[in-house]
Amino acid sequence: MAKYGYDDTPFLPNTKWRVHDSNRPQPPVIWPGWFSTQEAPGEPPSDAIILFDGKDLSKWVSVKDGGPARWKVENGYMEVVPGTGDIQTVEEFGDCQLHIEWAAPAEVRGEGQGRGNSGVFLMGRYEIQVLDCYENPTYADGTTAAVYGQYPPLVNACRKPGEWQVYDIIWLAPRFDENGNLIRPAYVTVFHNGVVVHYHTPLFGPTTHRATLPYQPHPPVGPLRLQDHGDPVRYRNIWYRPLRGYDGEPEWRDWTPIVMALRG
Amino acid sequence: MRAIAVGLVLVGALAIGFFIGVMAQLGYEGAPFLPGQKWRVHDSKRPQPPVVTPASIPGNPPSDAIILFDGKDLSKWRSAWTGGPARWKVENGYMEIVPGTGDIQTVEEFGDCQLHIEWMIPEDVKGSGQGRGNSGIFLMGRYEIQVLDSYENRTYADGMAAAIYGQYPPLVNACRKPGEWQTYDIIWIAPRFEGEKLVRPGYLTLIHNGVVVHYHTPIMGLTRHRRFPTYQPHPPVGPLRIQDHGFRVRFRNIWYRPLKGYDGEPEWRDLTFVVFPDLPRPQSSAK
Repeated sequence: MAKYGYDDTPFLPNTKWRVHDSNRPQPPVIWPGWFSTQEAPGEPPSDAIILFDGKDLSKWVSVKDGGPARWKVENGYMEVVPGTGDIQTVEEFGDCQLHIEWAAPAEVRGEGQGRGNSGVFLMGRYEIQVLDCYENPTYADGTTAAVYGQYPPLVNACRKPGEWQVYDIIWLAPRFDENGNLIRPAYVTVFHNGVVVHYHTPLFGPTTHRATLPYQPHPPVGPLRLQDHGDPVRYRNIWYRPLRGYDGEPEWRDWTPIVMALRG
Repeated sequence: MRAIAVGLVLVGALAIGFFIGVMAQLGYEGAPFLPGQKWRVHDSKRPQPPVVTPASIPGNPPSDAIILFDGKDLSKWRSAWTGGPARWKVENGYMEIVPGTGDIQTVEEFGDCQLHIEWMIPEDVKGSGQGRGNSGIFLMGRYEIQVLDSYENRTYADGMAAAIYGQYPPLVNACRKPGEWQTYDIIWIAPRFEGEKLVRPGYLTLIHNGVVVHYHTPIMGLTRHRRFPTYQPHPPVGPLRIQDHGFRVRFRNIWYRPLKGYDGEPEWRDLTFVVFPDLPRPQSSAK
């Protein structure tokens, strides 16, 4: 193998790699895709798993009965049909980068929580709020992009109703030990329309209304659920990429203890 | 006159009363407190997040961003070597490295932030390995995210485009071709020192062309070539520096937003052990 780096440099802590190591694995090559515009959805990265490409709901089922998802699909988006209930992906996944776009109804109705309400439920349990908060105040932890009932977004970066909005989410699933004790809470980072609104925020537990809930042990994967809250909210261009660790490690991990130990 | 004044006061009081009434209706008063927080669930009094207008074009600055380069001039930059004017070329809405003129850095110093920067390797790039379109983004003038043409150009993993140079390779290689604009969306938490002691490492999240390539990764120390990274104490703010590594690389659309905490707190903080004081602390397995 040709020498691309060095073999006489010091080892990096807790790794088998030297600084600029020739043999350190080359990261997988992907094509990054294109960003969305108001006019058209973008193209997902080449390693993304597509959950909705604008054509059909074949990757989704009704949460209520497990049968076909009965939301409307037209013009490249899906739209909540009020009363048909929440839908969720057949696929279950955990730590990931998730991209999802949504639009609140252009025709404004209601106020507060009653205007363009829906929700993105990670692993079917942890909600990032979807709501039309463009010139529509509500309680802070129920604002658009809030971790519902827990953390308001750092800023309100809403677009006008009818316009496409983007959530780029980095999600770490909570971890439990064999006795069901929490060993790592869920963490979420959210960009709303390109603006950071949560950064590495630990969730208190699963989402509920007017209360708090402790974590209940569950597997490190779960479905993505979208909420029917009675408003015809639209979604398009939904994809995710599993988040892994460096050098082919199967899981992301917190390197902080290793880096801090360098000081000792 | 007095009657008018009294009337105005009454109207004002009514308006305030109405305002408070509306505020009170926003949420709930009787829900439980969030663990470790001063806010109740759905608290009407919890501060409303500031309103920011996002850009209509992906990558363009939102309304609260501080613009470091808008394509017109280098007035916010200076030579990192002499402190005099930055002598890179500005044309067609981008700046281009003039090899030999040296690194440039912002006059402004900042710390924890969301930073956006776009770069492009000209189509006529030559060379291979580290010798192909090499430059770098130095956060706080010290911590480098590599800029390099890594499109079908192999080099050592921790030295390729989007690597935390000499420390962590990107999770994937998401490079575009030479001649295409590429984006770095960065979330940066500056390291914190108490005297000489590091109390929190710097943390980097990097999204390269829309793809996550580092997530909340603790920086091992100052960027070095062929040497082990170590920290040296410094203030929680510093300039953004861009490297002249002898290659013509272009940059455009550079802005940042200070990253703050929830509810108007001045700084982001890791809330893990605030929310879960009894959670077992991760143990180091470093040798």
